[in-house]
Amino acid sequence: MSKLMSWVDARFPLSKFIKEDLTDYPTPRNLSYWWNFGFLAGFVLVLQIISGIFLAMHYKADASLAFDSVEHIMREVNYGWLIRYVHSTGASAFFAVIFIHMARTLYYGSYRAPRELMWWTGQGLLLLLMATAFMGYLLPWGQMSYWGAQVITNLFRATPFIGDEVVVWLRGGFSIGDATLTRFFALHYLFPFLIVAVVLIHLVALHSVKSSNPSGINLAEKDNIPFHPYFTAKDFYGLGVFLIIFCYFVFFMPQFFIEADNNIPANPLKTPTHIVPEWYFLPFYAILRSIPDLLGGVIAMGLSVMIFAAMPFLDRSSIPGGARYRPFYRVLFYVFVIDVIVLGYVGAKPPTGVLVVVGQVSTFIYFGLFALLPFLSIKEDKWLRKRGLPAEVDVLIKSESEEIEKKAKKNT
Amino acid sequence: MRYILTSLLFSGLLCFPLANAWASSDAPLADIDFDRSSESIKRGAYAAKNTCMICHNLKYIKYLNLLEIDFTQSEVDTFRGKAAFDSPIKSSTSPEVAQKLFGMVPPDLSLMAKARRGGARYIYTLLTSYQVNNEGVVENHLFPGIKMPDPLTYAYRTDEARQKELKQTIQDVAVFLEWAADPRAGERRHLGMYVIGYLIVLTFLFYLLKRKIWSRLD
Repeated sequence: MSKLMSWVDARFPLSKFIKEDLTDYPTPRNLSYWWNFGFLAGFVLVLQIISGIFLAMHYKADASLAFDSVEHIMREVNYGWLIRYVHSTGASAFFAVIFIHMARTLYYGSYRAPRELMWWTGQGLLLLLMATAFMGYLLPWGQMSYWGAQVITNLFRATPFIGDEVVVWLRGGFSIGDATLTRFFALHYLFPFLIVAVVLIHLVALHSVKSSNPSGINLAEKDNIPFHPYFTAKDFYGLGVFLIIFCYFVFFMPQFFIEADNNIPANPLKTPTHIVPEWYFLPFYAILRSIPDLLGGVIAMGLSVMIFAAMPFLDRSSIPGGARYRPFYRVLFYVFVIDVIVLGYVGAKPPTGVLVVVGQVSTFIYFGLFALLPFLSIKEDKWLRKRGLPAEVDVLIKSESEEIEKKAKKNT
Repeated sequence: MRYILTSLLFSGLLCFPLANAWASSDAPLADIDFDRSSESIKRGAYAAKNTCMICHNLKYIKYLNLLEIDFTQSEVDTFRGKAAFDSPIKSSTSPEVAQKLFGMVPPDLSLMAKARRGGARYIYTLLTSYQVNNEGVVENHLFPGIKMPDPLTYAYRTDEARQKELKQTIQDVAVFLEWAADPRAGERRHLGMYVIGYLIVLTFLFYLLKRKIWSRLD
């Protein structure tokens, strides 16, 4: 065995990789359970790819067969119901895990230097995930699949000058049809592998800058512990808790995340009374509807997803540790979370009466918070420095910098 | 603070699907405890065959599937008549005739309990919502303007004993259609108990392992 390893190692840095990036990879010992969600996202990605490949073995991407083939999977394929419910629940789980992963990054300011590229590759992953989920939702060929795709592809009509042509080009016809279904299936199968590639880039960046941690400063060597066995044990415990919740939905409430209307085969002649996207798109959908103009709405929706990328520029504070040591930023964070929940609620309801106003105000607050951040973070920075940092942070920064200096002296 | 954040996030995430579910729950559904025993489902199969299946298809259920709800082979044979053992349950009215009679082809019933919010409760409420109005016309409050004529003549059954009997039949049909929409549900819940039980034990062991490993750091 060791002979084989040294043969491989002479040609490929296998042992080095295992040692430096898996077993001995230095990880801050003060990571909380909020740092489990990156691992969970990776787990759900693998789960979706595996269940998806098995579904593809029985699914028929043909407008006249798609709906029946899903029912065939549900009723006649051995454990087909399990594979399908794992996949449909997995889509929701993926977004839930990713939203928490993003919320952690925002709360602790993990997007700040030197982790901007982690944040931006993450932004790319979010877009790929949304595209994959959107295309996958068409495949069961139910009423909501069909009309959701109809509404969303229709948004591209807002493209200046060539809007109508773009929509036809995307759909492969004047409305959603067989051509749309087959291309969405092909892309829905392709995109997860693009996601895997971007995840690898995300991880290479991670292993270069290392994990952020709740204190917000880079810890000295003494406060870093090897990934294995400490974080493998912690991640597996987190995985167990996640799987209990996940399996509860799969086995006992599998229809919870599936719209009732999607159990009716797609009917191009009959529009459902109320078209709603999946829950994970609702806040963005609410922003789209809050702007009375189509082009304006599409721009606002695109911006609401992409604006996260600007966070490293918008946050001008030099105080470490994100919201933990920054009272104003913390308020901003919680207002943002509540605002997104309100937008999600508005997105699920028909746009009538007071809800229109609530949606518009929430949209204004959504963008307002990002606009406020540069000024607020500078003001907060000055105020905190005048008042003095919390004793806890001061002590930590001092001891960590002494430790790093000592190490540097030793080396020279 | 951390706990507030946690509960906010999780409750917030749960809000979205719930908001979706509430979005179009306009009419209140009957609040009843369903009898989901195999006798009830079986009675429902006969009642559905004699009423619903005159006009509606049940295309995702084949006669042989009835063996799963405790039909014996000879009962299935009587039930199917001349139809093949492995053929789907089809209505006795052709689509062309149905189109002429009702102005539309009646929808397939195999997924009806999943395709309406409330499932079996929706079906039960719909069938018990037929009433004779002041002008002597039969109406349905849950679905005004429904094209389906009162299939069990519920609206005209005013004496209590007969109405009670009809309600029992309607509940049987509702639980039968619930089974038809998701015939693997029983198997799913059964397996789910073992899976969740196993995961709880496993997670507890992972927790102990994590504690033990991290105690080396103290």
